[in-house]
Amino acid sequence: MLKRLSAPNVLVVITGLVIGVLGALLAKAGNPPNMGICVACFERDIAGGLGLHRAETVQYIRPEIPGFLLGSTIAAFIFGEFKARSSSAPMVRFLIGVFVMIGALVFLGCPVRTVLRLAGGDLNGLTALLGIATGAFIGVLFLRRGFTLGRSYEAHPIVGWVMPGLMAGLLLLAILKPAFVFASEKGPGAMHAAIVVSLGAGLLIGFLAQRSRMCFVGGIRDLFLIRDPHLFNGLVAALVAATATNLVLGQFKLGFEGQPVAHTNHLWNYLGMVLVGLGPTLLGGCPLRQLVLSGEGNADAGMVVLGMVVGAGIAHNFGLASSPKGATPGGMVATIIGLAAMLAIGYFMRE
Amino acid sequence: MDSPAYGVVLFHSTNWAMKAEKFSQRAGIKVKLIPVPRHLSSDCGVCLRFDWADKEAVYQALEEAQVEIEGIHKINDQ
Repeated sequence: MLKRLSAPNVLVVITGLVIGVLGALLAKAGNPPNMGICVACFERDIAGGLGLHRAETVQYIRPEIPGFLLGSTIAAFIFGEFKARSSSAPMVRFLIGVFVMIGALVFLGCPVRTVLRLAGGDLNGLTALLGIATGAFIGVLFLRRGFTLGRSYEAHPIVGWVMPGLMAGLLLLAILKPAFVFASEKGPGAMHAAIVVSLGAGLLIGFLAQRSRMCFVGGIRDLFLIRDPHLFNGLVAALVAATATNLVLGQFKLGFEGQPVAHTNHLWNYLGMVLVGLGPTLLGGCPLRQLVLSGEGNADAGMVVLGMVVGAGIAHNFGLASSPKGATPGGMVATIIGLAAMLAIGYFMRE
Repeated sequence: MDSPAYGVVLFHSTNWAMKAEKFSQRAGIKVKLIPVPRHLSSDCGVCLRFDWADKEAVYQALEEAQVEIEGIHKINDQ
């Protein structure tokens, strides 16, 4: 009987396969190695492109991000699921977004990049996965205690259109490249696929992710919360597809050391990603899902995205982000503060 | 043979789904938290599945739990 309800699972697996294959291909097409897709890194690059930070090696308006969001908008519109809604603790969502970005930049990856790094043979992805799982587990404990950010309410359509509008504007900046936009000349920010390729991949993934309700942290959360793997299957599909693609393209190198745009400080890889597991569990979605939800008109998710972009600016202005040399003292302090903040939010915000 | 029908209760927030599960189980109703069926909502959260025959009992449990619901839908097993 349950099999009937889980037939839609097929779309989650397809979405995972597409994310895996495109993630590996985008790295071949010009994006940084093992970083064909990284919602956190790309939002950080966009923050740089907009001048919100001045780290010269990571400034570029990545078309993938507007692609994810607008692909979701297109899907939501075609299937009548665009619904402007808002007003469930926006300040807290913004704050958690800031700390999720900080945590991700300590590890140097979002949950999607975690899977792609693993698929490239970067075993530091395992540490990160453990961190995400720990964070999700703690989040589920809070959920069981009654944690809630409250419910959202239907809002005026314009509220739902702000994020798609902003992203469309961002895309224009990416395409037109006016002089006031920053663009790295070397480093990861200078490594990017052609705009058409990035955008196309983004739109397709955004569309599929909206239809399938795909969520990388939700997949882990549901294992703890309801012991149901239907979203987790998507993660597995992405890992398998990306690994296979990497092997075919000769982009696979197994090990902890010497991995691209990565470091081996296991403790901080782990702790940083605890934030990336806990925050999204409290928020109801991983960074990719927040973009997809924003595309559907969910302004609460929009606050998270804005928080993440601002967090990226803060991270690179104050030296909180890691480098291949490892985590920074600032990043460590910020991670602890973020953990404390999320634990307090999780503990005290009950019905 | 009767094709079993069941229902799902959708909630605005995960914690309310869990509260409803607790109250339903206390009332002895057979319920299960499952992922929200894709065709019912774009939510990636969880909802409460129950046998449609238990509908009245579920309504009562929801009353006692004092949780706001987003909706109740019948799912036919074809």
